[in-house]
Formats: sequence, C-alpha cells, structure tokens
Amino acid sequence: MIRQDLIAARKHRIQLQCYVAFIAILLMLPLMLDAFWLNRIATYLVYGICAVAICLSWGWAGILNLGQGAFFGMGAYMMAMSLTLASPDNNPVPQLMLLNMEPTAPRELCCITPGSFLWIPFRWQAVGVAASIIVPMIMALGIGYAMFKRRTSGVYVSIITLALALIIQLIIINNQPLTGGFNGLADLAPLTIGSFEFDPYGNSTYYLVTAVLAAALFGGRYLLSGKMGLILRATQEDEARLRFLGYEVEKYKMLAFCLSAGLAGLAGMLFVICAEFASPALMATGFSVSMVIWAAVGGRHSLMGACVGAVLVNVIGAGASESPLFQPIWPIILGLLFIGVVLVMPNGIAGVFDSLLDRKLRNGGAAASTDAKHVSPRPKTSEAR
Amino acid sequence: METIIIGLSIASILFLVALGLAIIYGAMKIINLAHGEMVMIGAYVTVLATKHLGANLYLCIPIAFIVTAAIGYGLEVIIVRRLYGRLLDTLLATWGVSLILQQLIRIHLGLGLFDIHIDGLGSDLQNVQVPELLRQTLTLGDANIPVYRAFVFIVAILLGCITWWLVYRTHFGAQLRAVSVARGIASCCGINEKRINSLAFAYGSGLAGIAGVMVSGFKTVSPDMGTPYVIDAFLVVVAGGVGHLFGTVASAGILGELQSYVSSILNDVYGRTAVFATVIAVLLWKPQGLFVIRSR
Repeated sequence: MIRQDLIAARKHRIQLQCYVAFIAILLMLPLMLDAFWLNRIATYLVYGICAVAICLSWGWAGILNLGQGAFFGMGAYMMAMSLTLASPDNNPVPQLMLLNMEPTAPRELCCITPGSFLWIPFRWQAVGVAASIIVPMIMALGIGYAMFKRRTSGVYVSIITLALALIIQLIIINNQPLTGGFNGLADLAPLTIGSFEFDPYGNSTYYLVTAVLAAALFGGRYLLSGKMGLILRATQEDEARLRFLGYEVEKYKMLAFCLSAGLAGLAGMLFVICAEFASPALMATGFSVSMVIWAAVGGRHSLMGACVGAVLVNVIGAGASESPLFQPIWPIILGLLFIGVVLVMPNGIAGVFDSLLDRKLRNGGAAASTDAKHVSPRPKTSEAR
Repeated sequence: METIIIGLSIASILFLVALGLAIIYGAMKIINLAHGEMVMIGAYVTVLATKHLGANLYLCIPIAFIVTAAIGYGLEVIIVRRLYGRLLDTLLATWGVSLILQQLIRIHLGLGLFDIHIDGLGSDLQNVQVPELLRQTLTLGDANIPVYRAFVFIVAILLGCITWWLVYRTHFGAQLRAVSVARGIASCCGINEKRINSLAFAYGSGLAGIAGVMVSGFKTVSPDMGTPYVIDAFLVVVAGGVGHLFGTVASAGILGELQSYVSSILNDVYGRTAVFATVIAVLLWKPQGLFVIRSR
C-alpha cells in the first residue's frame, strides 16, 4: 500500500514537472520565431485551450459536447463586438450596420437596426471581456440544467449540443444587420488595456495566451486532483452506485460542463485577439468535431495531452499546407491519423506516455517489495453503450 | 398544398438517408459519420455513370447501391469491426473516414497527384442530367408537382417497404434483430455475428448511395455535400427513437413537413432552426426518442 502511494506521488511529481517544462518551452518560443509564426502558434495555443476544455467535459465528466464551437463562437463574438466598436471606422455605429440600415433610421447605436441596442454595453471593453466568458457559461448552465435534470447522457447529450450549435450558427447568419451575417466581424481594433495595446503579431499577445493556457492547465489540474476529479472519475465507472452513495452526480457534471463552456468562451475571446475576426464558421460542426479530435489525439484524460494534441495537429497541418506535395494528401493523412489513434491508442499520446511511465516506475521499485499490485492511475473509459 | 408536397419531398430524402443510418446506428450502435460520404459517393457514381457509361438515372440506382454497399462492406471489415461497444470512438474514426473519402474525390482518387484527371471528379461542382420524363411537372388540382419530387417520394416508399420486409420478414432480418438486442446470446445461438454486421453495414451504406442518386437529380454535386445530410439524418434517427423503423419514418415525416411549413411562412433559416429546436425539445422531453421499443 505504502509503495503504491509512493509510486502515485512520484508519478504526480513527474507529471507536474512535465507541465512546468511545457510552459517553460512555450515561454521561450518567442526567441526563435518570427512574427508570423508567433501569431500562428498563439492561435494554436488558443486551440489548445479549447482542447483542454473538451478534456474537462469529455475526458473527465463523460459529456461529449459536439457543440463546443457554439461556446467558442459566442466568446469570440462578444469580444469581436467590443473590438469592432473600438475601431475608429466604426464610430458611432459599425460599418456593417450602415450597410444594412433602413434609410430613415437614426444613426445611433440604440436604434439604427433592430436589436442594435444590444451592442451598447460593448462600448466598454471590460464588458466584452467579461461577457465572452459569462455568456457561454450562462448558456451552458441553461442547457446543462435541462439536460442533466432529465439525466440525459451519452450520445443524446452530443446530439442536443450539436443541434444547439447549429441553431445559434443559423441565427447569427440570419441576423445580418446585427451580427454581420455570413461574413462575421472583421474590422477590429487590437485589444487595449489602459494605454497598452496587444499587437496580434507581437510578444504581448503570445504571452497573454500562454498565461491563460498555463492558468487553465494548472487550475484544471488542481481542481481535478481534488474531490471533484475523484467524483467525476467515479461517475465514469459506475454512475448509479455513486448516486446511491448520496452524491449529486448532476451537480458535478454541471460544474464540469459550465467550466468547460467558460473556458471555451475564453478561448474564443483570445482567438479574436490573435486572428482579428469572428465568423459563423467558428460555430460549424466541423470545427466542434476538430476540437474533439485534437483532444482525442493528445489524450482525452490528460489536460496537457489534449493541449499538446491540438498544437501538434495544427502545426503539422500548417506545415503540410505549405508544401505542394503534401497539401492535397494532408486531409487523408489526418483522417488516417484519427482512425489510427482510435484503433491503436485510444488514450492518445498522453496515454502512451502514461503507460511507459507506469512501467518504468513499477520496474524501478520492484526490487524493494515483491507484492507490487497493479496500479491503475487513470479511469478505464467505460462509455455508455 | 405545395408546402405539404415540398415537405414530403424533403422528408423522403431525409428518410432515405436516415433509413440506412437507422440500421447502422439502431441495430449496430455505430455512429457512422461517413454515412454522408456514402450519399456523396452515390451522387458521384451517378455523375460518372452518366458521363462515361451513358447510363440514365434509373440505371444509376443499382450501380450506386452496389458501389456504396461494397465500400461500406470494406469499411466495416477494416475499421468499424474493431470498435463495437465503443460508441463515441466510432464517431471519431468514421469522421476520419469521411475526411479521407472527401479528399479522395477531390484529388481524383489519388490520380490527380500524377496529373491524371477524371472528368466528373475533382473539387468542382458537378451536375446530373435528369431523364426527360422526370423533368415535367404534374398538375394536381391547383398545385404543380414536379415529377422528380414524386419520383423521389415513390423510391423512398419502395425502399422503406423493402427494408421493412428485409428486417421483419426474412431470416437475415431475424438474425440482425437478434444481434442488435443481445449480441453475445445471438452468437451463442450460432448466428455468425460478424457476417450479419458486415452485411447490415453494407446494406445501410447502399441505401445512402441510392439517396445520393436521388439528391444528385436536383442539387449540385460536390465533395462536401454529404455532411449536412448525415447530421440531419442522425437527428431524425435519434428523435424518432432508436431501433425502430416506424419511428424513423414518422420523425422524417414530421421534421420534413415542419421544415417546409416554417420555411414557407418565415424563411429557410427559421425552417432549419425549427427542426433543430424540435429535436432538442423531443430529446429533453423523451430522452429515448418519440417511439421506444419496450424491452424487458
């Protein structure tokens, strides 16, 4: 028993060292990259935050959200609205509204197009920043309450979230005068806090993203290493028994779902700061599924694994799209990669490292005692059939 | 009147795509996101067969069925077979398959890399010529009905009947139902479970291929045309209740009519929004779908 605790503690320490090393590498990257790649990597790190959010809801709470793009997109739009108004071309009203207004409407944000008063609070950037996290969380709270109260689970959750994302995307496309419709919002000012301006191609934005990522990784790890992680792990093993023991499973699921949504919204906000646009494409099913796939490639049970998966897939993809030989076959390689991951290593890259680490730790201490029992540090995935 | 007929035609396409998915998801518990690509391949088979073989649309139906069923069979044997019981993993793997299939069409089955181009493939949009007979319109009372829509409707009904007969009135169907209810016990009773699964997957894919032929008659054909269909069809299957052919028919009908009705009074976007909202409401109200098989 003591030996197992020892192994677990040592493993915990090694994992923590990995996290620290990962962040340290990220912090040193600006020394080697030019502005273009710095911006790209920052965007991929934003995708990494998305993957962390997926890992939280899918890997730990068993909620496969195929509409994560809706939360990401809402976060992006909230920030983009704020940055649109900050741009000098868009004063007092955004260009897109001038193009879509009734000729007689007053040129005021309150009433130029139907519903345009909704933009008024976004004159203050703080509102945009706060809303990009809070609005997705409120949405998640509502839909999560409806779903988990009725104990919807498994694939039905995926379908509901998928349909929800499609609805939101359609609404945004349809309300051209309010949201920019299909083109989205592209005429944005850089984020300015006080008098400091975050240049999308500069170090400041990169460090901002890295800081948020680090906070998400360590915060998530802290949260999951406590009671919540234990209970979420237990729900995947046997939800009915846990409920019988008196735990309110739904509350924990809700919490994971809302946190995941908030994190996705935060990622959406950072995406807008890096990429300087928001469009309905961010809410498309394809993008939501890609997030899930990044997490799957990296390892759905490991926050850092998911993040690394997202960055790796995107970096390789970006590299491939520049070579004329690989560009046409890259989607095929990507497809094969997903199939391979699912068939060969269901726990992703992190799963492979994890089992290597386990073997090493167990062999290393095997001489000390002979009654080494099997240590299972991660939950076996028992998905709803 | 016209709204109802447009609704029926939307419903029949939905039904054709969903029928195959109902078998694959309902009976085998595989979320097949590559199903939409079977629709797409069915449409491309039509394009190629009309261009290169001079076949007409009727002849394309069996050809597309055979081609997509063969692809489906191969897919089951190579990939899906290893994933039974891992529902969400099937979703990821088949998404990978759909990426591959789409790209294969775009790069002319790989020949594009060697600068060999096949007329009718590639990432451009394609069109299919519909036979003269199907291009006319029927006048029924005060409503004009395009013959093609009626044709799609009849094909959907026919295939629905054939599938019903296959599942509920044949030896194969009995075995399929046995496997879907209790996999282990079925194979204990001497049912060759693997063979049944492969055949069912092939049949489901073949149905999607036929749906592709139908779609190609009134929509442009492109490599990424399949994705919306698979999502809609999946919503239909789940909302109708899994493992229940009647549920699929009913929910395809309801959702098709709803979309057509709301689209006619508001616009297309609201029509689709209404469909998605209904599906969400149905799943929240009855998490197992509208029609549930009571077992045990």
